[in-house]
Amino acid sequence: MSGGGPPAGDRDPSQPRPAGEGWTILSYMIGGMALYGFLGWLIGRWTGLPVLFPIGMLVGLASAIALIIFRVTRS
Amino acid sequence: MSDVRVLTTASGCHLFSGCGYPAPSISDFYFKPIFTVGGVAFTKPMLLAVVTAVIILTFFFVAFRKPKIVPRGAQNLGELGVLFVRDQILRQQLGKKGDKFLPFIVAIFFFVWIMNLFGIIPLIEFPATSRFAFPVTLALIVWVTYITIGIKSKGPIGYFRRMAVPEGAPWWILPLLAPVELFSNILVRPFTLAIRLFANMLAGHLLLLVFGLASWYLFSLSIGLLFAATSFLLTIILTGLEVLIMALQAFIFATLTSFYIADAMETAH
Repeated sequence: MSGGGPPAGDRDPSQPRPAGEGWTILSYMIGGMALYGFLGWLIGRWTGLPVLFPIGMLVGLASAIALIIFRVTRS
Repeated sequence: MSDVRVLTTASGCHLFSGCGYPAPSISDFYFKPIFTVGGVAFTKPMLLAVVTAVIILTFFFVAFRKPKIVPRGAQNLGELGVLFVRDQILRQQLGKKGDKFLPFIVAIFFFVWIMNLFGIIPLIEFPATSRFAFPVTLALIVWVTYITIGIKSKGPIGYFRRMAVPEGAPWWILPLLAPVELFSNILVRPFTLAIRLFANMLAGHLLLLVFGLASWYLFSLSIGLLFAATSFLLTIILTGLEVLIMALQAFIFATLTSFYIADAMETAH
């Protein structure tokens, strides 16, 4: 929810955001961490730097949060 | 070992009788085949799925066989169910333009709900959706549906472009965000849809098993009687909670299905 901001897209302005929107946050969080975590783990195995796994997960988490912010605040 | 009754009578364990608490485990979710056809075992969850389909088909056939302007009896109940799905689930996400998906969403909602509800029906006592194959199949149906709708309404390139490119993000961050957007839209969505239903039903069934078994195990002429009474009370309370969760999970499943369809149909974000 954007705290009373203008509603997004072509939705009816008098209608609240659909409830399903909230679940996409969960899917971004899981998706971001899983994808970049896996990439980090893979590159970490390849280069012998296991620290890339948690770094990848953090990058994924950051991207997920960025995506959520862009999705919610767009107008 | 199929449900509480069989398990408890099979164990015959009580407090202070020298044997431990027969804790429920994942083996309580596996059943002896009822019969086997050509190497394929037909088990209780499959039977429940067939029964669910028969129940829903029969009910809606009877309800809307001879529809009247002023509904009576089964038609009244059927209209109540369909209108609930239309007004509380479908139109919340899709608006009136989504009414052509009403049969699909009604089918999804009632199928999931009845499958869940078997978990608390006496003598059946097994939510068929706690076997992972059922939620996975349902999620796959939903997945194929919303991707087909998306491709139909925007063309393959336009649809996958919208799936991959988050709106409102500055261009320089896109290489980092587009994979996450695509991954979460294509893979995480059906995965979480299936997992959410499956895990809720599995956990709920295990919870009921724990307290149902404990009521029987603790039942003895000792202080255990008090514990057994408490455990039995909890079984009843948790059964009430499960009724709520079963309806809620069916509601969430149907809501998310319509949300994904709405998301695929939306012209511009």
